[in-house]
Amino acid sequence: MNLIERVIAISRRRSPWICRLNAGSCNGCDIEITPLLSPRYDAEQLGIELHGTPKHADIVLISGTLTLRSRQAILDIYDQVPNPKAVVALGSCPSSGNVFAGSPLVLSCSLDTVVPVDVWVPGCPPRPQAILDGIARAAKLLEDGATKSQLAKSRLAGSQPESRCGRPS
Amino acid sequence: MAMLKTILGNLLRPSRTRAPADMPVVPPTYRGALTHDAGRCTACGTCAFVCAPKAIHFTQDPGISVSWHFFIGQCSFCGLCEQNCPTRAIHLRADVPGSTNSAGGDGLRLESVIHLQPCTRCGAAHVPLPAATMDALWAAGADEAERGYCPDCRRWAASARLRTAFTPDGAVAEGGRHDR
Repeated sequence: MNLIERVIAISRRRSPWICRLNAGSCNGCDIEITPLLSPRYDAEQLGIELHGTPKHADIVLISGTLTLRSRQAILDIYDQVPNPKAVVALGSCPSSGNVFAGSPLVLSCSLDTVVPVDVWVPGCPPRPQAILDGIARAAKLLEDGATKSQLAKSRLAGSQPESRCGRPS
Repeated sequence: MAMLKTILGNLLRPSRTRAPADMPVVPPTYRGALTHDAGRCTACGTCAFVCAPKAIHFTQDPGISVSWHFFIGQCSFCGLCEQNCPTRAIHLRADVPGSTNSAGGDGLRLESVIHLQPCTRCGAAHVPLPAATMDALWAAGADEAERGYCPDCRRWAASARLRTAFTPDGAVAEGGRHDR
């Protein structure tokens, strides 16, 4: 790794821009992001900046239960995020569906079966410091080139075997 | 002057105000990750019953053990399991569960094994009562041998005591077995 690549890798960790995606959440996790950006928790000390569009983001925070309708939206937005990218799943809902699991329009499966998730933040909702910890962890993965999307790209042919969870057949 | 002190203090302080480890304190009643004490659990299944998102379930290894399983990725941290646990085996710690890199392992799933014990009378495998409950039940002068009994034998012993109380002549054949 030459010097410029090293600088680029460090700057990926030092200024991760995030984009928030609500995939059918009760808004609890999204409300916890707001104090994260306030001076009390001060996410900007780590260079984190919230952006409205996925085209500017490095890290996507996905919160909420996956639903039949949000599945395609998640895939579309994930595709719009430029490489390298990381995904942070907030709370219990993305990993299982939480109390909504088993509802007719809820995909009762893990977010991992839709997009590759790098960091899981447990909690319902997670505390802002847990979210900050998760973002810092994802930023470290971006620096190391160890996010799942980066690893899949370096493997070239190794595209993730995509599961057919919730896809209309 | 006080303002100048504050300004000077802020100038000398590093720009990073709060590292992730140095965050506002968590309230003492915060409901964080679950802990399970297998020594207190009687495997009654109340926690699995009251859990709305079905984050807790039990599996059995017949005759050997009962396992308590918990998946943090399905938990709403409502605390109903802690509230309803009759033996206080479940406790929600007041610290923030950390983020993990995979949903499969890494502390997201907990397993706690409760080993069954053979009954000292009939030999049937059963979940032993927690030590504190035993001390409360057999505190004063009760038959110490009953500590190792299975629920059926405990019931038999209680009814045997009742019968000998009514028929003091020893109508009960000692060592009689209950129907299993």
